[in-house]
Amino acid sequence: MVKIYSTPECPWCHKVKNYLKSKNVEYQDFNVEEDDAARDELYKLTNDLIVPVTTIDGSTYVTSFDKAKLDEMIGIN
Amino acid sequence: MSIYDFKVKTIKGQEKDLSDYKGKVVIIVNTASKCGFTPQYEELQALYLKYKDQGLEILGFPSNQFAEQEPGTNEEVQQFCKVNFGVTFPLFEKGDVRGDHAQPLFNYLTAQAPFKGFDESHPVAKGLLNALNTKFPEFLKGDSIKWNFTKFLINKDGAVVTRYEPTTVPSAMAADIEKLL
Repeated sequence: MVKIYSTPECPWCHKVKNYLKSKNVEYQDFNVEEDDAARDELYKLTNDLIVPVTTIDGSTYVTSFDKAKLDEMIGIN
Repeated sequence: MSIYDFKVKTIKGQEKDLSDYKGKVVIIVNTASKCGFTPQYEELQALYLKYKDQGLEILGFPSNQFAEQEPGTNEEVQQFCKVNFGVTFPLFEKGDVRGDHAQPLFNYLTAQAPFKGFDESHPVAKGLLNALNTKFPEFLKGDSIKWNFTKFLINKDGAVVTRYEPTTVPSAMAADIEKLL
């Protein structure tokens, strides 16, 4: 499952989510402003607290709305 | 009357009495909750880390009132957002800082410290004035808050000492802070 760490008012987070929707990719969204456990996970994964971060395996991840990298990680052609 | 007569709400919705900051030098700043023109967060955080042990507090009040119209800067817009903007000083509940629904604290601050114009040597001053003249000419009238990152320096007795417009970078406030500590 694709996981996205995001905040509600971050425009780049919306772009990532809209992009995945447009490609029919299902994802779970974690609002790190409210979900402390998700925030800790995000920090553990990236050693930082910036969003959006997208990951599948919890070890490699894509920061920001980087279409090429998202395509590569998720396998969108 | 002083800032100690005001109560505000934390970002988690709890009531906070500003009299809790008695005896501290305080900076009150309206911040932007969107991503983009936010380099002042980093300088505010730097001031906080440098002076907090000597008694400085910084209180950030996010507002969306200016967020849709970012003044043009030459800096590349970051394609990500920092959670809580990467700052460790307290942020309060989002609310209006100008207009009919302005938080009473900001009405008080702007009445105590009138608007004296922008520092036109600052790189964003021109873009900021253009944006205001075009989109919000009424914002330029009176002493109300003009844009994100208007800063008020408060002394240890809760009185407003100086108002700094968005065109003053936080690092330029250091000497004034030291005088009050």
